Amino acid sequence: MGKDLIQKSLKDSLFTGIIALALFGPIVGLRTVAKNEVLVVEPKWFVVLLIVIFCAVGRFFINIYSYKKEKRRGEPSSFGKAISNFLDEKGAQIAIAAIAFSIIFPFMPFADRYWMDIAIMMMTYIMLGWGLNIVIGLAGLLDLGYVAFYAVGAYSYALFAIHFGWSFWICLPIAGLFAGMFGILLGFPVLRLRGDYLAIVTLAFGEMIRILLLNWYELTKGPDGLTGIPRPSFFGLPFKRYPDEGVETFHTFFGLEYDPMQRIVFLYYLILVLALITNAFTIKIRRLPVGRAWEALREDEIACKSLGVNPRNTKLTAFAIGAMFGGFAGSFFATRQAFISPESFTFIESAIIVAIVVLGGMGSQTGVVLSTIFLIGLIEVFRDFESYRMVAFGGAMVLIMIFRPRGILAKRKPTITMGKHG
Amino acid sequence: MSETLLDVQNLTMKFGGLIAIDDLSFSAKKDHITSIIGPNGAGKTTVFNCLTGFYKATAGSMYLNKNNNKMDLKKFSDFKVAQKAGVARTFQNIRLFPQMSVLENMMVAQHNKLMTASGFSILGLINSKSYLQKEKEAMEISKYWLDIIGLTNRADDNAGDLPYGDQRKLEIVRAMCIEPHLLCLDEPAAGLNAKESAELNKLLKFIKNDKKTGILLIEHDMSVVMGISDHVVVLNYGKKIFEGTASETKNSPEVIEAYLGTED
Repeated sequence: MGKDLIQKSLKDSLFTGIIALALFGPIVGLRTVAKNEVLVVEPKWFVVLLIVIFCAVGRFFINIYSYKKEKRRGEPSSFGKAISNFLDEKGAQIAIAAIAFSIIFPFMPFADRYWMDIAIMMMTYIMLGWGLNIVIGLAGLLDLGYVAFYAVGAYSYALFAIHFGWSFWICLPIAGLFAGMFGILLGFPVLRLRGDYLAIVTLAFGEMIRILLLNWYELTKGPDGLTGIPRPSFFGLPFKRYPDEGVETFHTFFGLEYDPMQRIVFLYYLILVLALITNAFTIKIRRLPVGRAWEALREDEIACKSLGVNPRNTKLTAFAIGAMFGGFAGSFFATRQAFISPESFTFIESAIIVAIVVLGGMGSQTGVVLSTIFLIGLIEVFRDFESYRMVAFGGAMVLIMIFRPRGILAKRKPTITMGKHG
Repeated sequence: MSETLLDVQNLTMKFGGLIAIDDLSFSAKKDHITSIIGPNGAGKTTVFNCLTGFYKATAGSMYLNKNNNKMDLKKFSDFKVAQKAGVARTFQNIRLFPQMSVLENMMVAQHNKLMTASGFSILGLINSKSYLQKEKEAMEISKYWLDIIGLTNRADDNAGDLPYGDQRKLEIVRAMCIEPHLLCLDEPAAGLNAKESAELNKLLKFIKNDKKTGILLIEHDMSVVMGISDHVVVLNYGKKIFEGTASETKNSPEVIEAYLGTED
């Protein structure tokens, strides 16, 4: 058995080497260099050889490794299982600890501007992940255009705040409502689609919204973006060093020294609260009939119909609620940046959010947090190596898919249990 | 004599040039088990798909007598047949929600009732007492049925992890959770062993006698068909070739011919 395996693995790694050669030969091996104002092809065969050897050897070891795992195929690896079990047992305590940590985070000695910005960004992604989790994780509708709702939320917040001067707390629900309406707008045409077809249409929808924002110059200022979006105020108290005549500000009201960090800390708490609301809402609605119907629809749509579950309404509510939370996150994004342009709502954003949900484990709320920390953290670590960021991102996804094919936390908890009295 | 529950007249279903059901008329009575049998490809499942709104019949009429209320099943599309007319069905290849627990499967079947009780989720979100009460009642109903098929102690396990025979029974009691007037079972005994078949017979008789639910049954297992059917309809090539009691059917030359072929 062992000899056979090595033989097979060698054969396989040979193939891998050939494929790597075919791929990297032209891409890496042939480089055009300008010499005396003429383009000359300069071969780099040694680098190609190194890459090919690396691929072949790597493939060989992956083969040997996965053979050992073969008996337990589909089962989560033991390390992941241990984590998963640990999180199961101590779930409540860990959640409380995590929330407590997030609350005291701004007062940590190391929490400077840089760390706060990263924390705010991560929180935004966590909120988006939790919102999209309703659509992908629970209802099983692969939505690749989620960023469109983020954009709708951001733009509707910005436009209402700029043109009508309404405060953040009025514009936030309006932005959510608008995004939810767009969710239904997208939901209707795709009701009959599923799987790959659904993914393509939602992807196109995301791009349509971006192109619309880019070209509707009268409303959105196109590529110039919207500037001067009002900053949020602390219940009417603005964060300003030099306030207008007669206006009390946050620092004067509380008798503090002016510090730009005050606004950052406020933004941090704002997104924390929004994210926690999203989480609490999702946990609650999952246990309601509509949440169970979402999951049932993901499992088997035909069986749902035979039981009298209305698939249209069920799907539309999933789209609308998911989109609504995207819209909330979008209006936070707009108020935080004070400037938005279609540049911020490209497909890659959708892809990152989908990756967060899928890698976290479909439907797992904790999984979203873990994969956000992992993926966004990784992107941040690679900030200085700009061109390698996406390589690291892709590598991380491949690793998770090898070791945890069903996501970091794949275990699903029933929404209702018979308990002991059964 | 009990009253007619389902009345199918001149039902025809064409797929392009193929006539899957050809001018089929039959009726099913309220506290009867009516079996539809026939060789493979005779159009049995197509009849079910027409009845339960998955297909739109080309021609003919289907009426359900729901509490002396004549309902035209052709007016309802897919999920509304179950929701409004109270026609439940199971599938030839079991369609449970495998990643959800047994109890959740039962709760999804009571979706419409619970959805109204939860005030379209608004009352549910604020934990209203009336919703919690309804949820508890739904759990009691689930427990009642799970007790009958002996799966209460596995209520919190994933439905997909159950043995095959238990999955079959679960699918039937799940369909019963919508409190149907007519229960359509598509080969419920397929793949069951003799003991499980006997249990199935008992369950179906219980549903018929104690729950007063009419059953329409597609079945290949003759021990099930002969053991519990009150009425048998035999199809071949989409046409009804025989109708009668179980023992009449067994001895009918047309039926024997359809199954075994003729002697030349």
